[in-house]
Amino acid sequence: MLPISYAIRNLLRDPGRLLQKVGGAGIVVFLVFAAGAFNQGMHRILSASGSPQNVILLGAGSEESVERSEVPIQAETLAAAGIQDITTRLGVSAVSGEVHYMAEVIFPTGHKAQALLRGVTPTAFEVHRSVRILKGKYPKPGEVLVGKLAHHNLGVSAEMLSPGQTIKFEGQSFTVAGIFTAPGTVMESELWFDRNDLMTLTQREQLSCVVVRLESPESYASADLFSKQRLDLELSAIRESDYYAKLSAFYAPIRTMTWLTAALIAAGAIFGGLNMQYAAFASRIRELATLQAIGYSRPAIYLSLVEESLLATLLGTLLAVAMVLIFLEGQTLNFSMGVFRLTLSGEIALAGLLTGLLLGIIGSITPAIRCLGTSLPSALRS
Amino acid sequence: MTVFNPPTSSDPHGKEVFIRCRNVSKSYRKGKTIVTPLEALDLDVGRGEFLALMGPSGSGKTTLLNLIAGIDSPTTGELWVDKQNLASLKRGQLTAWRAKHCGYIFQLYHLVPILTAFENVELPLLLDRSLSRKERHSKVAAALDLVGLANRADHRPTELSGGQEQRVAIARAIVTNPGLLVADEPTGDLDRKSATQVLDLLREFSSEYRKTIVMVTHDAVAANAAQRTLHLEKGQLVEQVQITTSEPTEV
Ligand SMILES: Nc1ncnc2c1ncn2[C@@H]1O[C@H](COP(=O)(O)OP(=O)(O)O)[C@@H](O)[C@H]1O
Ligand SMILES: [Mg+2]
Repeated sequence: MLPISYAIRNLLRDPGRLLQKVGGAGIVVFLVFAAGAFNQGMHRILSASGSPQNVILLGAGSEESVERSEVPIQAETLAAAGIQDITTRLGVSAVSGEVHYMAEVIFPTGHKAQALLRGVTPTAFEVHRSVRILKGKYPKPGEVLVGKLAHHNLGVSAEMLSPGQTIKFEGQSFTVAGIFTAPGTVMESELWFDRNDLMTLTQREQLSCVVVRLESPESYASADLFSKQRLDLELSAIRESDYYAKLSAFYAPIRTMTWLTAALIAAGAIFGGLNMQYAAFASRIRELATLQAIGYSRPAIYLSLVEESLLATLLGTLLAVAMVLIFLEGQTLNFSMGVFRLTLSGEIALAGLLTGLLLGIIGSITPAIRCLGTSLPSALRS
Repeated sequence: MTVFNPPTSSDPHGKEVFIRCRNVSKSYRKGKTIVTPLEALDLDVGRGEFLALMGPSGSGKTTLLNLIAGIDSPTTGELWVDKQNLASLKRGQLTAWRAKHCGYIFQLYHLVPILTAFENVELPLLLDRSLSRKERHSKVAAALDLVGLANRADHRPTELSGGQEQRVAIARAIVTNPGLLVADEPTGDLDRKSATQVLDLLREFSSEYRKTIVMVTHDAVAANAAQRTLHLEKGQLVEQVQITTSEPTEV
C-alpha cells in the first residue's frame, strides 16, 4: 500500500486543481445540507403540529383546509357529549371549538401583513398540550396572544409584538396580552384571539372546526362514528396527525424540487470533475507505471488515487459544514403554514458525509481505471 | 561474430545460470498487423554476470528487458530467472515477484517528483511489511551512501542533476537487495562524467555484490563496462566478441 502522504502530496501538486475540487465538492455538499435542512425542517414542523390523539371535526367536503371549513357552533357541545374517551382534566373536557382565519393585520407603523388568526376559548389549552404561555397572560376580549415566531411571519421585530403593543384588525385595535410557545409547531406563528371577538368582527356564526383530545389514538373510531351518525352536523372526523400529513404531502413537489436541484448540480459537478480528474491522473501515467514496475499492485495504486480524490471531497465536506454553521444553522424560513428553523441534524450531516464520499469515489474510480488500463510496458514508454 | 548458441547444461563460463530464455517470442498487435520484436530467442546469463544488450532502435531491446524484469510476459517460450519461470506467473504474481527480485533502472530515471530522494528510495521498502521504520531508514541511508548521495537525502528530484537523479534511481533499484538489475539505456541521457559514475556503480554491484545485470545501451563505451555484449538483430541475439583493451578497471 502506498502511504497516505503520497496521496496528500499529489493533492498539493496543483493547488488550483485542489481548490477547484474542494470548492466543487463543498458547494454540492452544502446544497445537500441546505435541501436536507429545508425538507427536514418543513417535515418536522408539519409532523410535530399534529397529534395522533387529537381529532379535528371539519365541515364535510372541506377536509383539505380548516380555513375554508364551517362547523355549526353547537357541534362543540354535541361532540363533548357524543364522543367517548375524551380526555378530561380537572373536570374540563378537552374539546375546543375554534375559528381559523387568514387576514391582514396592521401595525401602528402602518406595516400590513397577512396573519393566521385563531379564535379560541380556554379549553384550547386542554387540546393543544404543547402550548405554554411564556410571557403575559391569556387574552381577554380586545386582547391577543401571539405565537413566539409570529413576528417572523409578519415581518416585524419581536418588540412590535411584545406584551402591551397593539395591532389593528378589521379596524379594531388589539393589545398584545402575552406570548406563547408551542415548540416546533405551526401554532407558534399564529395570533390567538378570544373566539367571540373574532366571530363578531368577521360576522361569522359558525366555527371552523372542533378539535377533541382523546385518551388514545384508537379512540378515533368513536369520533368517526359520531361524525357519521350526526348527519345533520355534516362533519368529517380526521386525525390531526393525518391532517398535517396531508398538508405535508401537498408540499412534496417543493421538496422533490429541492432534492432534484441538489442532485442535478451534483451530477454536473461529477461529470465536470471526471475530465479534470482524468487529466490529472493521465499526466502521471508514467509515474504510476513506475510504481507498478517497483512492485506496487494495481489495486494499491487505485486505492491511492481514490484516496487522493476522497481527501479533496472530504475537505470540501468540511468546508460545507463550516458554510452551514455560518450561513444556515438557526436561520428561520417562512412558508404559508408558519415558520421553521434550519438545523444540521445528525441525519443530514450523515447524508452530506455520504455525498462527500460518493463524490470522491465516483469522481475518481473511472479516471483511475482508464489511466491504469494502459499496459505496463506502454505506460513506461510514455 | 557468431550466432549465439545457448549451452544445454551450463553457461559459457561454467557458472551457475541465473537467467534462461528458451524459445522466447513476443508479439504485439498493432492495429491489424502483428509485430514480433522477439522471435524464438534463447539466452543464458550467469549469476553475477554483467551483460550489455545493443542493437538498432526498434530491435526489441526494451521488450526483452521487460520480459526479463517481469514487466511483460512472453507470447511463447520459457523464461527462467533464478529458478522461477516468469512465463507461468500471472500479473499479480509478477508484480510481487518484481518487488522482491528485480530492480529496474530507466533512461529517464522515473523518480517520483513529489518525493524526496530519501522517500523515492524508500518506496520499494514500504512493500515489505516485515520491516520496521528503523530498518527501512537504515537501508535507505545505506543505499544512498552506496551511490554517494547521503547528503542529498532531502532533495527533491528537481533539485538534483541528471547524474544524481540516476544514482538515486539506482539506490531505489538496489535498496531491496534484489538478485537482478535491469537498466534501459541508463546513461543515455547523461554526460560522460555522470555516465562513468553510473557504470562504475553497476560494475561494482556485479563484481562485489554478485548482482546479475542486464543493461541496454547504444553506447559502445558503456557496453565496455559489461563483461559480455550481445546484439539484438531481427529478433535474434548475436554475440559480439569483447574488444576490451584492458581488464575492468576495478581490481
Ligand atoms: N506495447 C507495444 N505495443 C505494440 N508494439 C510494441 C510495443 N512495445 C514495443 N513494440 C514494438 O516492438 C518493437 C521493439 O520495440 P523496443 O523493444 O522498444 O525496441 P528497442 O528498445 O530496441 O528500441 C518496435 O517495433 C515497437 O514498435
Ligand atoms: Mg528501448
